[in-house]
Amino acid sequence: MSSSSREQVNELEQGYWAYVKRQFKKNKRALFSLYAILFLAFVALTADFIANEKPIYAQYNGTTYFPILKSYGVALGVSSWPKELQNVTWKNLEYDSVIFPPIPYSPSNQDFKNAQYKAPNGEQRVKSKRWWHWLGTDGLGRDVFAGMIHATRIALAVGLVAMSIAGLIGIILGTIAGYFGDQGLRMSRIRFFLNIIAFFIAIFYAFSARMYVLGDAIGESIISFVLQGLISVLIFAAVMIVANLIAQVLKKIPFLGTRMNVPLDLGISRLIEVVVAVPRIFLIISIVAVAKPSLILVMVVLGLTGWTGIARLIRAELLRVRSLEYMEAAKALGFGDFRIMLKHAIPNALSPVLISLAFGIAAAILTEAFLSFIGLGVPAETVTWGSLLNLARANPGAWWLATFPGIAIFLTVTFLNLIGEGLTDALDPRLKK
Amino acid sequence: MLQYILKRILIFIPTLLVISLATFAISTNAPGDPVEQMLTSQSGEGQAANLQATEKAYLALRKELGLDLPIFYFAMSNIASSDTLHRVAKTFQRDNLDRLTYEYGNWPEISNYYKSARDLEHAVFSVNKDSLNRTPLISMKESVNDVLTKYEPGNLETNFTNIKEKIGQAPSLAVLSGPLATVESNYQKMVSTATGWKYYIPSLKFYGMDNQYHRWFFGDKPWFGKDDGTWTSAGFIRGDFGKSYRDRRPVGSVIWDAIRYTFLISMLSIFLVYLIAIPVGVFSAVKSGSVFDQIATTTLFVLYSLPSFWVAIMAIVYFGGGDYFDVFPPYFSPDLDGGFFNDVKEMAKYLLLPLMCWTYGSLAFISRQMRGGMLTILGQDYIRTARAKGLGEKTITWKHAMRNSLLPIITIFASVFPAAIGGGIALEIIFSIPGMGKLVFEATVARNYPIVFAVMMFSAILTLIGFLVADILYALVDPRISYSNKK
Repeated sequence: MSSSSREQVNELEQGYWAYVKRQFKKNKRALFSLYAILFLAFVALTADFIANEKPIYAQYNGTTYFPILKSYGVALGVSSWPKELQNVTWKNLEYDSVIFPPIPYSPSNQDFKNAQYKAPNGEQRVKSKRWWHWLGTDGLGRDVFAGMIHATRIALAVGLVAMSIAGLIGIILGTIAGYFGDQGLRMSRIRFFLNIIAFFIAIFYAFSARMYVLGDAIGESIISFVLQGLISVLIFAAVMIVANLIAQVLKKIPFLGTRMNVPLDLGISRLIEVVVAVPRIFLIISIVAVAKPSLILVMVVLGLTGWTGIARLIRAELLRVRSLEYMEAAKALGFGDFRIMLKHAIPNALSPVLISLAFGIAAAILTEAFLSFIGLGVPAETVTWGSLLNLARANPGAWWLATFPGIAIFLTVTFLNLIGEGLTDALDPRLKK
Repeated sequence: MLQYILKRILIFIPTLLVISLATFAISTNAPGDPVEQMLTSQSGEGQAANLQATEKAYLALRKELGLDLPIFYFAMSNIASSDTLHRVAKTFQRDNLDRLTYEYGNWPEISNYYKSARDLEHAVFSVNKDSLNRTPLISMKESVNDVLTKYEPGNLETNFTNIKEKIGQAPSLAVLSGPLATVESNYQKMVSTATGWKYYIPSLKFYGMDNQYHRWFFGDKPWFGKDDGTWTSAGFIRGDFGKSYRDRRPVGSVIWDAIRYTFLISMLSIFLVYLIAIPVGVFSAVKSGSVFDQIATTTLFVLYSLPSFWVAIMAIVYFGGGDYFDVFPPYFSPDLDGGFFNDVKEMAKYLLLPLMCWTYGSLAFISRQMRGGMLTILGQDYIRTARAKGLGEKTITWKHAMRNSLLPIITIFASVFPAAIGGGIALEIIFSIPGMGKLVFEATVARNYPIVFAVMMFSAILTLIGFLVADILYALVDPRISYSNKK
């Protein structure tokens, strides 16, 4: 066979996703954007090694240290600093030999000699060009470049986690609504009502009666909180299981046992309408403004308000796909609803969801930047792209504080949007190249 | 069609109810005490009279704002908790009582303990200050406050010991040993007869119509019969949106003042967007693939990705009177003197920059929609027929194709109204324009709930109306779409 027809056969044999990947790769802009985002992810992961006040490698007083790695150990609680290295100004130590990261500043490092907004192209009081603040400093002398590198980590984390939460909720609710509709799920009356009552009782025992236990656990440590949280989830599950078991018994009674349709689609669609009716930014601001500033809260709130688009898309796909032959065949083969949803329905309905996720990550990063810009969301000391822009607002003369973080946000959002567009074109069979 | 509209409007009602419940829930669970924030704080350390005066003012204000009522018609709680807990005024004390209920579960004993602790507090503040008891009194006041706001046994016992010690330091303080003894004995009783298990038995507590939510949403003004003027609020549903916590102005007038600016800029912006985006979209589609199309698409895509608040900052830094060009004023403070032309000139000067920032983002979206729609239409058969008939390109483009592709544009227009309210939050904050976005932001941060509620509800109502209008327009413009049930 000639090589081109071998290619053609190979193309025909590969599955749907391989085809999508191929189409995507043909879009040069989208491919470049993908590589750019992967590069940013790399920067985010290795941020501690790119910009840090601690050296990567140091020979001090005869002993060899790897301070950045050690700081990971200290944070995890498995090692501790020797006496002579506690509370030192790393750049002033006399080393036998040392390798500093490319940017020898941490984002929170206040360089007092260069406080009060030093420009990148202006005068800076530094030991040598090695210590130059390439993107300038802010009012407290913190290096802007270091801040931006570490902010990459925060931005990407927020985008990914928020959209993961939104995606999970959206896919689950949308699939249930689309697959079952209003007549798909039938159960005995007693089971339906017992479940509703049990839901509230379960919330009571799992969460509201354990309010103080959980509250104390947060204060202690992450591990104890996770533990108590898991216990709460188990209690919740136990109550629901007990309720369903009771229903199994009680449904023998004729009146209670009458089967009824569970209006899942109705309920979930109304829920979507309610969440959509309030403008997202209002909702986010009202929750974030009253609670204690924390990054996790921002991620969770962004996730909890961003799922409606995905839910609607998957619901529409499932409504379309529900009556196709392969679904009928699966049911005829005796597969349970859960398995059909998981293995057949969802994978085929994922295309619009992926596109939505790409744009959603961009939107989440933008929203988080906006929140830190108005001073809400992340704790005050955390440096993000938005918080740097906020500093620029107070001091319009410091053009470097306005320009560079903005470019970072702009580029990240552009790349993500281009990936979204690339996916849209790749997934559209009419545009096959 | 009419049936469809009526059905949709009926569905508004439960949706709005749920939204009102949700906004209400968020704000009542927020930390912070609006009453404390409203009272310009007089330092409450002082003689008993002063303490009583502050407390009286606090309680009066709380009652006036209706915050001494239970929150909702019912509450899911447990049999250990009291259903009158909401009457306790100070937040920290209330929270502490709840914690004590969790620890010990015997509300009557807890209540006795709390009452005796308050008596002790009162007694401490009633002592006449003299040179001997001045220092011990300070420490005792702290201890008493700790007793009222802490629950850990170790902590409480330390405080009891501390108070007893300080009593011994001055003869005038001996009168306090009686109240202290009562507190300690009540404490022992509470601890020893603990019934903590009661916390785990659920119970539904009913509060009836007299609760905060009912008063906010439905009002306590009588619906029928005599209006004797003793009511506080006519309720949201009758148009009484309450008074702003900040300056006691009616919420309606506060919102009206703010919405004028937002509306002005939004309307101008929409006008500009449609003016520019529709022709650009049409040309892009007609000359698809040409240089114009590629440049336009790329430029608009770039504009779409620029964060609006960043552009605003850059505009201020580079154009707004900083170290570079001093073309535009950065802060919104027009010098309006009532004369029409002067006002227009002033407003134009101050609104130009915000308007540009507001507009550029939507340009991309609308023109891409236009382009997409036009491309689909231009590929349709009837366009080919028109060309075959010999109609000129211009006629085809503007008379036939464009009209049919206006459908999505019209419907987007309908959903633009809710964005008109909150869309410009960033720009309003940056340019200090006193519009709705800035109002909501400041109100949320200052816990000014009447305003937050009202704006949330309005946004929800406008969004729902916007969707309905969009659907109706769809049906009107495209005769193939019909909502009636065809038999």
